[in-house]
Amino acid sequence: MFSKLKIKGGRPKQTNSNTSELARREQRLAYTLLLPTFIILALIAFYPLGQVFYTSFTDKTFASGEKTHFIGFDNYKRLLSITIKELPPIIDEKTGKQKIDPRTGEKLYERAIRVLPRKPIRYRELTQFSLFGKRYVIGATDRDFIQAIWNTISFTVISVLAETILGLGIALVMNSNFKGRGIMRATMLVPWAVITVVSARIWEFMLAPSRIGFFNMIFEKLGIGDGNMVFLSNKSIALPTLIIVDVWKTTPFMALLILAGLQLIPKSIYEAAKVDGASPIRQFFSITLPLLKPSLAVALVFRTLDALRVFDIFQVLLAQKTYSMASYNYYQLIGNRAMGLASAIGVIIFIIIFGFAVLYMKLLGVDTE
Amino acid sequence: MKRGLVLLLVLALAFGVMGTALAENEKVVITIATGAVGQEYQLSVEAAQRYMELHPDVEVKVLVTPDLATDRLGLYLQFFEAKSSEVDVYQIDVIWPGDLAEHFVDLYEYGAKEVVDQHFPALIENNTVDGRLVAIPWFTDAGLLYYRKDLLEKYGLDVPKTWDELEKAARIIQEGERKAGNPDFWGFVWQGNAYEGLTCDALEWIASNGGGSIISPDKKITINNPNAIEMLERAASWVGTISPPGVIGMSEEDARAIWQAGNAAFMRNWPYAYSLGNAEDSAIKGLFDVAPLPAGKSGKGAATLGGWQLAVSKYSKHPEIAADVALFLASYEEQKIRAIKGSLNPTIKDLYKDPEVLKANPFFGRLYDVFINAVARPSTATAPKYNEVSTLFFRAVHSVLTGEKDAQTAIEELELDLQDLTGFEIGQP
Repeated sequence: MFSKLKIKGGRPKQTNSNTSELARREQRLAYTLLLPTFIILALIAFYPLGQVFYTSFTDKTFASGEKTHFIGFDNYKRLLSITIKELPPIIDEKTGKQKIDPRTGEKLYERAIRVLPRKPIRYRELTQFSLFGKRYVIGATDRDFIQAIWNTISFTVISVLAETILGLGIALVMNSNFKGRGIMRATMLVPWAVITVVSARIWEFMLAPSRIGFFNMIFEKLGIGDGNMVFLSNKSIALPTLIIVDVWKTTPFMALLILAGLQLIPKSIYEAAKVDGASPIRQFFSITLPLLKPSLAVALVFRTLDALRVFDIFQVLLAQKTYSMASYNYYQLIGNRAMGLASAIGVIIFIIIFGFAVLYMKLLGVDTE
Repeated sequence: MKRGLVLLLVLALAFGVMGTALAENEKVVITIATGAVGQEYQLSVEAAQRYMELHPDVEVKVLVTPDLATDRLGLYLQFFEAKSSEVDVYQIDVIWPGDLAEHFVDLYEYGAKEVVDQHFPALIENNTVDGRLVAIPWFTDAGLLYYRKDLLEKYGLDVPKTWDELEKAARIIQEGERKAGNPDFWGFVWQGNAYEGLTCDALEWIASNGGGSIISPDKKITINNPNAIEMLERAASWVGTISPPGVIGMSEEDARAIWQAGNAAFMRNWPYAYSLGNAEDSAIKGLFDVAPLPAGKSGKGAATLGGWQLAVSKYSKHPEIAADVALFLASYEEQKIRAIKGSLNPTIKDLYKDPEVLKANPFFGRLYDVFINAVARPSTATAPKYNEVSTLFFRAVHSVLTGEKDAQTAIEELELDLQDLTGFEIGQP
């Protein structure tokens, strides 16, 4: 808005050159009036942010009188260094060929722990993969953090996608005319209204790894599992479980935002389309979706940025088994008291979220009218 | 009219505030931050009352802190970071003295010399950092083996003294009870979730098998040894056989839920489960007893030391009076009241011979050796990095229990991690 006005009018410049005393005085007054806003903004936004930036270059310990040293980019190096190394095959001395595991029949390679560099910082095995008959290992100096980034981003992408699709479906139903629509709209919001920590605890009880837990009981009745499924400690199903919990919780929020967008679309357009003989599906793709785009974009941005900061359900349900970026940050600050490192994590999270925000604005055109 | 009323109200409030301020100025206010688990808060308030009766010039306030130790540490750290004098006496976990020593006064300078000999020496050693006594023991904890008297009798078994015996007894009872119509019955429940509790359990296994205590008190990394690896493999073999698959997600209360519903033959837990298991609503009231944990290769069972201490803040405005309050709360008489009313294990040796205490908690006397010989986690040697040492350890153990890694690989990696973190040398247990 503001920038457009300036470009179109181009007037302020002109008045400046004409040295109109009144305009200059008004300008000065405007800046004086803006000054408190700038001071408050600097105090509440830039000061803490700057503090975190500065601390991220130090080795400060939380709640300790120990001397703090300036260590440059060491925290960032420790968090983000990644390397790829080829794993040499184990050669059988007798035959001169690669050894094969007698149990699984797979070719054997040197263990990653012997291949990854140890100095100056040790690289730990992140994952292995095969390419063109060779085996490689990816190592990271902070395996937990790289995994936390991966966990958070996959959590965000899958849960936001599911929430958007489900939310859109629910909003379309809510938008149609039927009896008890008001009650439906109110009850739909219940999962979102419950405090996340509380609902996460309830889910924790329901996901209990024995038949005390609701899901184990139901699943066993349905013939799935033996009543002893471990939902939260088994690495391969912990994240999908978490995504389901989040979808349950946040779909209502998406539905609400999309519903608000749907109600902005004038009914007369649909009536006109009907007269023209457009089918409901055609109506959806040609009218609803394009007109819904702005509200959908806002909802997506909200949810994505929120999901990237996810903390409570990770902390309550998985604690130190699997980290999200935010829960790893919390662990490094409170559990490990590494304030410098935690600040660096904070900065990296900030940059990632910022990147996502910019990407969205470019892709969906949120900032243009 | 309205304005007059408001003015009156403001004046009244101002005088009210001044009034209390004046009244408080005459008294020294000491704030103690204590736990509120079970009866803890009530017991602390009553103790504060008794102190105030003896010292009319002191007002003792009780600040309630979060139940979970990690949350409580987070709160304390914020007070310390701000060098706040808000709290004078802190209730601290047995693993914190090393990490937090710099924020506490040396209690030896405030008259603790006369009383230290009454307490368990292991606790005093644990709370002594560089020759300074940073905390006075308040109550203690150690891992115990809970067993079902009725089921051992039914199958003609003795209380297991070794892990072999425990495995065998657990298997026999589990099979028998399942055939008898209880499909939810398990042999042995314990704490297998990835958290501090797993460090305690795994330390007990390893120490009982002659595998040392992760890092020795003289700062050597001792975890990479055959006895430790063997024991971890054994523990991993329990998951899904004599212990439920979900044991890798269980903490104290999850294990107790299965046990107290009558669905387990054995349980590893802390003493607090004793009075709860004998409560009116318990399915196993009067059917169980406690014993020392089984032994491995070392021939002796091991119990991890737990419990809470009282420390006086360096930032307190009245450290002398605060120390006096702390020593009063940890005194013989006060610990006796807590033992009888709250089943909280005393740290004073003589109380284990006190008839009134023994009447309330019959197992205290029998298991005196367990409490006095409990194995300390390597918190003092690794301070201020114990929390990360413990996290690395329980995550390595958890990866073995879940089958993600074999014990050899997990322990080798753990050894490297510990070397990177602490810079200590490798040693033998």
